[in-house]
Amino acid sequence: METLHFLGQGFGVAFEPTNLLMAFAGALIGTIVGLLPGLGPINGVAILMPLAFAMKLPPETALILLAAVYMGCEYGGRISSILLNVPGDAGAIMTAIDGYPMARKGLAGVALSISAWSSFVGSALATLGLVLFAPLLAEWALAFGPAEYFALMVLAVASLGGMVGERPMKTLLAILIGLSLATVGVDANSGTYRFTFDSVHLSDGIQFIVVVIGFFSVSEILLMIEQTHSGQQLVAATGRKLFNLKEMIETGWATVLSSVAGFFIGVLPGAGATIASALTYMSTKRMYDREGTFGKGDIRGVAAPEAANNASATGSFVPMLCLGVPGSGTTAVMMGALTLYNITPGPMLFQNQPDIVWGLIASLFVANVVLLVLNIPLVGVFARMLTVPMAMLVPGIAAVSAVGVYSVHATGFDLVLAVVLGVAGYILRKLHFPMSALILGFVLGEMLEQNLRRALSLSDGDVRILWHSPISVGLWAVAIAMLVVPPLVRRLRRGRAGALAAGG
Amino acid sequence: MREERLFGLVWLALCAGMAWIAWGIEVPFSYEPVGPRAFPLILAGLMAVCALALVLRPAAIGFGWPHGTVRAHLLIAIAALFAYAFLFEPLGFPLSTALLTVALGRVFGGSWKACVIGGLAMGGLMYLFFDRLLDVVLPLGSLFAAAGV
Repeated sequence: METLHFLGQGFGVAFEPTNLLMAFAGALIGTIVGLLPGLGPINGVAILMPLAFAMKLPPETALILLAAVYMGCEYGGRISSILLNVPGDAGAIMTAIDGYPMARKGLAGVALSISAWSSFVGSALATLGLVLFAPLLAEWALAFGPAEYFALMVLAVASLGGMVGERPMKTLLAILIGLSLATVGVDANSGTYRFTFDSVHLSDGIQFIVVVIGFFSVSEILLMIEQTHSGQQLVAATGRKLFNLKEMIETGWATVLSSVAGFFIGVLPGAGATIASALTYMSTKRMYDREGTFGKGDIRGVAAPEAANNASATGSFVPMLCLGVPGSGTTAVMMGALTLYNITPGPMLFQNQPDIVWGLIASLFVANVVLLVLNIPLVGVFARMLTVPMAMLVPGIAAVSAVGVYSVHATGFDLVLAVVLGVAGYILRKLHFPMSALILGFVLGEMLEQNLRRALSLSDGDVRILWHSPISVGLWAVAIAMLVVPPLVRRLRRGRAGALAAGG
Repeated sequence: MREERLFGLVWLALCAGMAWIAWGIEVPFSYEPVGPRAFPLILAGLMAVCALALVLRPAAIGFGWPHGTVRAHLLIAIAALFAYAFLFEPLGFPLSTALLTVALGRVFGGSWKACVIGGLAMGGLMYLFFDRLLDVVLPLGSLFAAAGV
């Protein structure tokens, strides 16, 4: 009951004219950013975050804008997957497998509309899940002390290390680089300067926006130079624009199942839209692929991963809002946006600033409806965005990023630092270091250190406090399992495949 | 494989530097058991372990630095971005953005004419949009400021 009351209050916030306008603008911008190959939700949120701050938007409005961009990107990625066979973002890779063949068969309109619909179902169900689970989790997390928080953050780091990237060692190193970058600047407890090299500009630490723009915008521009997808032809959307009732029923069950699975995968720290869409595509294929139609344009193969990637994007808000530990790279960036406003996400947020939490949750419903309405009739307009020449698009991205960086402190130093970090990010990405892990490390850095030091201050330096309570013991156990189990499973599976190959 | 090993070595050296600087962090007086020195030292140690693992067991990743035209384009783009960062304040947003657009636009295959026109339009319109409409303060550059725009 209390939840419904808060949700009602949240809709009050969401329906304020400015917030509605921002949800609409975010949905529009997000779809466009999502459909452009190479730019994903994390880039979109990274580029818009400083602008929202510079425009002096109030925190809930800024968060609504960024959340709408995030959701919009998950919608937009499918458009280029289906029409171009080039996924617009990582979450839409699986959509291309059946979406592009459908478009080649002259069913582009059907593929686009059914995937918009399943995106809508995925987001809507996941937002319901958020409403149900987030308050419970937040209440439970109120009992957390510094030792539990430290264990929880180690868990987030460990689950990322176990799941993301092809080599856990590289993911771990990326997180550590992020943590190290966060130590630059004045130490809050003792007032000593660390790694500032006597530079005034660094005494405050490296600005979050500078790190984000450097690693996600500048390095992206440099990577784009190598990627040219000429030769791929845009498939014209002909024929039926909308799916029919039969197709909706055919995909219904797969969509619902994938939405639920996507939500829970999104809640796990580290596992995001990419893993969610891959897993649900595989399981849907296993369930329904009797005639071998998957991969040749099966409509269920389009609906399932789209439902899952939208659901997981929404699910990743759960750990950010309830625990203050982001569940994905994109929510890590959004968390950084909140800290710009001096708001620390976490269980206290539900009590102290319900307007922000519930306004955001209600806006997710609103943005989702806006996106569905935008995406079915206007898909042709969005598709035309794919024909904007790179020669204008890339300088535009660079200039908007520079405006964002400059708007925070108005120093050229930050711009130079962003380019330096961008070049470093380019090298790291060429060596297959996952950037989402790095940014997660950077966001968690200060909290991780503060909680460790606070816990050890409480116990007067006795490290046993770190595994003193049952909650922290449990968190440590899960953290270790997260690091040990996935590689073990991989090895077992490889062993079995090897045995089969040898036997057959 | 070779690149991974090289990266691991460079990173080991960086870890050593980081540990050395961290060791030198002095606190005049301390009231907590763990000071500002411990955390960076732990991080440097853990990173050194990871870097060592990369040196000893590099993975065979499909990796290649760009060659030929792509490499030239990459270097031009990096130089253009650095120039943009340094000239952003002295030249002002409209002019520096126009120059960046010409440089990057050429790298991404635009024609001279399109890049120059597009650059001037982008610099001017974005300045008006952000600075005048959205109140995001941007430098105008002494050239325009002197003209009293």
